Amino acid sequence: MRLYDIVVLVTPDLSDEDATKLAGEYKKILTDGGATIVKDEPWGRRRLAFPIGRKREAYYAYWQVDAPPTAVAEAERRMGLSDQVLRHLAVRVDEELKRAGKMAERLKAKALKRPPRPPSPPALSAESPATAPAVEPAAERSAE
Amino acid sequence: MRMGPPSGRSGARDAKGRDGKGGPRKKFFVRRRKVCKFCAEKIEYIDWKDVKLLQGFIPERGKILPRRISGTCALHQRKLQTAIKRARSIALLPYATD
Repeated sequence: MRLYDIVVLVTPDLSDEDATKLAGEYKKILTDGGATIVKDEPWGRRRLAFPIGRKREAYYAYWQVDAPPTAVAEAERRMGLSDQVLRHLAVRVDEELKRAGKMAERLKAKALKRPPRPPSPPALSAESPATAPAVEPAAERSAE
Repeated sequence: MRMGPPSGRSGARDAKGRDGKGGPRKKFFVRRRKVCKFCAEKIEYIDWKDVKLLQGFIPERGKILPRRISGTCALHQRKLQTAIKRARSIALLPYATD
């Protein structure tokens, strides 16, 4: 099972209800293929960044899905066949997310390794007022 | 005859010395150091669905802002690039404008 981000753009010619129904069909294909839906966020009607087939907006449906590759492949194939679907995108994200999580952990571990760092800046700032007055008169003198 | 220009330059040098700014001949442009946004804010995963984030790296023309201008590090620029390209493919971002 792999984690995928899937987005479908449905024609604006359909009403929002019909569009959700159509998107639901693809969702059903995925779940029938053994997928579990992690996130289901219909973005709704959105302006396109550029016209696709004379259309300036589209109905966006987004899912994050934990699915076997075969289910995603089948859903994508069906999306490609439909005239109502302007665009579709399925991207595998589990590996990238895992790597990002690892990096975040490494950063956290690094931060923990050097705990004396945070207290040092206040110490510096406490020192600087003492040195600052010493510098200022000298600067005034040079200006004169 | 050749003495003219150098003496003029030395005069300029003196003026600069009095101000207490800069060296004799070098002109300094104080350039702000560029920092990779993703490193600074510790954004590890560049989400291609985050249009607001990506839009910051798309100038008016619609092209991807080069690293040399944005200051993004090589690793994050690469990830940013794929994220932008994915967003383009589903019309979240433009390929080109005008």
